[in-house]
Amino acid sequence: MRHLPTHTKRDFLIGCCVSAFAFSASSPAQELQLDKWLPDSMQVHGFLSQGFIHTSDNNFFGHSDDSLSTDFRELGLNSSWSVLPDLQLAMQVVWRDAGQTDEGDLRIDYGLASYNLLSTESSLLTIRAGRVPTPLGFYNDTRDVASTRPSIFLPQSIYFDANRNLALSADGGYLYGEHRTDIGDFSFNFGLVIPRTDDPDFKSVILNGSSGSVQGDTSWVARVEYESPGDRVRLGVTYADFLSDFHSSSQVWNQGSFHFNPLILSAQYNAEKWSLTAEYALRHTRLDYLNVNDVSFTGQSYYIQGAYHFTDKLEGLVRYDELVWDLDDQYGYRWPAQLGPQFSRYARDWTFGLRYEILPSLMLSAEYHHVNGTGWLARLENPQGETRNWDMYAFMLSYNF
Amino acid sequence: MKNQVPILKITRNHAALAILLCFLADRALPDSLPNKINPNGIYVVVNSANPQRNISQTGLNAIFNMRLRHWNDESPITVYVLQDEDPLHKTFCKQKLHVFPHQIRKGWNRQVFSGTGQAPLAIETKEDMIKRIRETPGAIGYLSGKDLTADVKILDIE
Repeated sequence: MRHLPTHTKRDFLIGCCVSAFAFSASSPAQELQLDKWLPDSMQVHGFLSQGFIHTSDNNFFGHSDDSLSTDFRELGLNSSWSVLPDLQLAMQVVWRDAGQTDEGDLRIDYGLASYNLLSTESSLLTIRAGRVPTPLGFYNDTRDVASTRPSIFLPQSIYFDANRNLALSADGGYLYGEHRTDIGDFSFNFGLVIPRTDDPDFKSVILNGSSGSVQGDTSWVARVEYESPGDRVRLGVTYADFLSDFHSSSQVWNQGSFHFNPLILSAQYNAEKWSLTAEYALRHTRLDYLNVNDVSFTGQSYYIQGAYHFTDKLEGLVRYDELVWDLDDQYGYRWPAQLGPQFSRYARDWTFGLRYEILPSLMLSAEYHHVNGTGWLARLENPQGETRNWDMYAFMLSYNF
Repeated sequence: MKNQVPILKITRNHAALAILLCFLADRALPDSLPNKINPNGIYVVVNSANPQRNISQTGLNAIFNMRLRHWNDESPITVYVLQDEDPLHKTFCKQKLHVFPHQIRKGWNRQVFSGTGQAPLAIETKEDMIKRIRETPGAIGYLSGKDLTADVKILDIE
C-alpha cells in the first residue's frame, strides 16, 4: 500500500466512486442498478462525504480557525460476498482526510470473513476473523459513514476523531452470539485483537512529541446488547483492555506499554418521530514505563442526545457532550503549563444540528457547536495555542449507495 | 312414530349444515383461493417452489433483518423489499415486523458498513416484486392482498 503515490490511489478511488455515483444516480434503485452486473450474493456499497468547517478559534480538521476548512473528506467503497448462506466475506477500503489527524492514505478499514456456526429462527452464533470493526458503544463500528452517524461529527468525548484509526478496527477474531425472544434480542460480541496504532495525533501524544514507534499488542474487547421488540429500547455495555507498546527513538526513558480500559454504558429510546440517546464512559489509562514511574488516570465522558423527525426528510438534533480527562483534576488546575492549558483537560459541547434528505442517498447536514474547553482537539493541529471558548459551524454533503 | 321427523326438514337442515361445513372448510384451506384474501391486507410471499409453509414472528424479523440467511432446508434466502419511501413498505414494516421503517434501514446500514451483513435487495414496483419472487428460488418479499397472484405462495406467520 505504500508503493503507489498517495494522489494516484486517491484519484483512482475518486474515479471509481464517481463512476459508481454516475451509474447509480440515474435511477433511485441504486442497489438494483449494480445488481445487473453482480450476482445476488454480492453487494457493493460506498460513501462519499465532503465537510466544510469554520471555527471561531482553534483548528479542527484543517485550518478552520477564522477561515473555512475543506479538509474533511471521507471516501469509501465496500463489497460483501455471501459465498454460502452462512459464510460472508466483506472488505471496505477508505480514503479519509481530516486535517492533520488523518492525511489520506488509502487503507483497508476492514476485511473479514464471518461464518455462522449456528443459525436458527431465534439464535445466531458467528465467528469473525480478519480486520474487524471494533464494537465500542453504539456508533463506533460504522463511524466513517455519515449516514449512520446521528450528526456530522460523532460525540467527541467518546468517539475522539483524533485517534479514529486506533478505535475503528483491529486485527483478530470475534465470537458473536444473538438470541431473539418475545421480550427482545440479546447479543454479545467478544474479540481478541491487535489494535491499529497509525494515528498521527495519538502517536504524538504517547511519545510526547518525539519520534518512535507505537505497536499494538494482544487486547480484548467485549460488548453485550439488548434490543426490545420493535427496537424501541436499546441498551449496551462495552468493556475493553487495549494494550500497545511504545518506544521513543530519542528519549531513552520514554518506552513501555500503554493500557487503555474503557467501560461504556449505552442507552437509547426510539419512538416514531423522536429518539433519545445517552452514553457514559469511564476511561482508565495507564502508561507503564519500563524504567520510570507509571502514569495513570481515569477519565469520564458522557453525552445526552435528542433527535426529532420534523418530516420524513428533515431531522433535528440537540446534544450535550462532556469530556473530562482526569476525574482527579476535572478543571485541569494541576496540569503542568508546559503540557498545555488547563482548559485542555476538559470539553463541554452543546451541539445543534439539522439534516435534510435531498434524495434517499444524498444528505445535507449542518451543525453548530458551542464548546467550552479543548479536551478533544488534536494538539497536532493547534501548535500555536488554544482558546478556551470556541464555536464551530460545519456543513456536510454526503452520498451513499 | 313420535320421533319421526319429516324427510323434507331433515334434508333442509342437512343442506344448511352442509353449506355451513363447506364455508368453514373453505376458511380452513390455505388461502391461495382469491376470495379468502383481504385485498387491503399485507402478505409475506415466497417463491412457489419453497417447501416451507410458515415461520415464527421472531424468524420473520430475523429474515428481514438479514440475520437468518437460510430456510429450514438450508437453501439460501433472498430478501426483496420496496423502496424506503413506498407506502406499502412502511405499512409492512409496522404491521408485519412491528418496527419503524427508518429503524430497520439503520439496522441494514449498520451491518453493511461494518462488514457484518448485507442489505436486502430494494426494488421499485410491485410488478418487479412479483417477478423477482416468481423467478428466484428462495426469494421472500411482501405484497398487498389485491396484488397477489398464483405465481407466489403466502408464508404464514405463527
